[in-house]
Amino acid sequence: MASLTDTAVPSVPSPRRWSERNVSLTIQIGAWIGFVILLLPVFIVVLAGLNSGEYLTFPPEGLSLRWVVEFLTSETWMGAYLFSLLLALITMAVSTVLGTMAAIVLARYRFPGRDLLRAYFLSPLILPGVVLGLALYVFFVTTNLGLARTLTGLVIGHVLVTCPYVIGTVSAALVSFDQSLEEAARSLGADAWTAFRRITLPNISAGMMAGAIFAFIVSFGQFDVSLFLSTPDLTPLPIALYISLRYTFEPTAAAAGIFAILLVIVSMLLTARLVNMRKFGGIKFS
Amino acid sequence: MSTAADERTHLDSRGHRLRVFLGGSKVYWLILPAFVFFLIFFIVPVLSLFLISIDKPVAGVVDPQWDFTAKNFIRFFTRATYYEAAVRSIGLATLVAIITLAIGYPLAYLIAKTENPGRNTFYMILVLCAMQLDMVIRLYGLMVLMGDNGLINRSLIDAGWIEAPLPLMYNFAGVVIGLVQFTLPFMVLSLIGVIRSIHPSLEEAARSLGATRRVAFWRIIFPLSMPGVLAGSLLVFAISISSYVVPALMGGWKVVVMPIHIYQQIAELGKWQFGSAIAVVLFCTSVVAVVVYQRYAAVSAGGRT
Repeated sequence: MASLTDTAVPSVPSPRRWSERNVSLTIQIGAWIGFVILLLPVFIVVLAGLNSGEYLTFPPEGLSLRWVVEFLTSETWMGAYLFSLLLALITMAVSTVLGTMAAIVLARYRFPGRDLLRAYFLSPLILPGVVLGLALYVFFVTTNLGLARTLTGLVIGHVLVTCPYVIGTVSAALVSFDQSLEEAARSLGADAWTAFRRITLPNISAGMMAGAIFAFIVSFGQFDVSLFLSTPDLTPLPIALYISLRYTFEPTAAAAGIFAILLVIVSMLLTARLVNMRKFGGIKFS
Repeated sequence: MSTAADERTHLDSRGHRLRVFLGGSKVYWLILPAFVFFLIFFIVPVLSLFLISIDKPVAGVVDPQWDFTAKNFIRFFTRATYYEAAVRSIGLATLVAIITLAIGYPLAYLIAKTENPGRNTFYMILVLCAMQLDMVIRLYGLMVLMGDNGLINRSLIDAGWIEAPLPLMYNFAGVVIGLVQFTLPFMVLSLIGVIRSIHPSLEEAARSLGATRRVAFWRIIFPLSMPGVLAGSLLVFAISISSYVVPALMGGWKVVVMPIHIYQQIAELGKWQFGSAIAVVLFCTSVVAVVVYQRYAAVSAGGRT
């Protein structure tokens, strides 16, 4: 669970420098190979989107905004991008509200079955995304609720895989928040809602925002869950990219990728401002 | 013996409990919307998928026949195409976990040992960005790099080092490379916390007792980071085995794994019951990995939540 407090014991300066120098050359080389594998494909996408020719060559023929303009004026690509944006924003709103409400109960009260309930809310992440999308699709088709092939159906799938992140970050924020502050407000005459809104909410807002950003970005890049739930009219960007990549490498797709990359970078920079990155990790299942 | 008075106290306490549940300072009802949402849209659909997987297979029909049979699973485990896909999926995921560990460990070690807060945050942002970026976009980059007419092959041919393009993708190796790229950030994030929690004085002690840096690493650091190694590997295994898009694009439909069978059976052949059965097999394989993962993740978090 990502904790939002820095509980690291301040260490003496000397062993600190000792350990930093102690990363051997072998490990440093290995680490840089890792960084290259991690970032080279992203770099290639940016290059392909800004390349002036039809095909990416090395070294590139030259830089131009040709494909970026093509993307911005393309109905297919811009449509898919904006649809993904809309889907991610709705998902973020629903997940943040549902997740925060659940996290308040999970983090504050001790009651029998609490751990079971926590596992219950994390369980969509255990299921392979394709299986979850399929299960929802089958459910929508057989129940005839009018959810099959709709935006609402897609939002439902995305909320299931993003809500756990909100619950994780908000629970962490609530655990580090001193509940006696809210009790003090209550004892001074504030009603429960006022005390929560004026005291607790401002204190957990960083955790809530980090959770919301995570929900947004996980939804924006979601492929597996969308695979069975999207239709030709409702095509999020990852699905549109997949359909195009099956046949060709359109430079316009790379230009769309650049805008997705920008969105991810901005989101992660915001997250870094909200939570302590050093304590960030293992948020996937735990 | 039950008296009227007893009955009344009992009812009172129940009413009290209800009041506590709905109001007062304890607002348990806040959990209800999420609980109901997950119940309707997660538990029920997944259970119905299990139900459909043991239903009588009728092509093109998704509605339940209520005629239960093990036919779908028997078909899966007796036809070579299908059980070989399961074996291939498991083998692929295992291989990816091992390679990702070998590449991810030095990276995680470097980040864990970087004490400069600014640089540390920078590294973390790089890893998180790579993790959060849609995999299909990263696949675009990989495919432009590794295709027969891709950057690597064209550069090598232009340099005169090779005659024909190397088969870097549309085969098993391509899928492995794609999945390693996909899962690397998850491995790194699983390892960083564990490596950071190993106190530097342990290594210092080994060094001062005459161990070389290599010996200190293999005898002290690596064994102590085992919980993270296992947790990361199982997580990578679970992600690799459930990936559809990486085998589909990097394997060029030649590397058929379980998620691809699921999609083909349902979207192309309309065999809902059989497709659901494959999905159940995939789910069970992945759950085994995740349950073991959670045991190690709890250990690697030092028992704290």
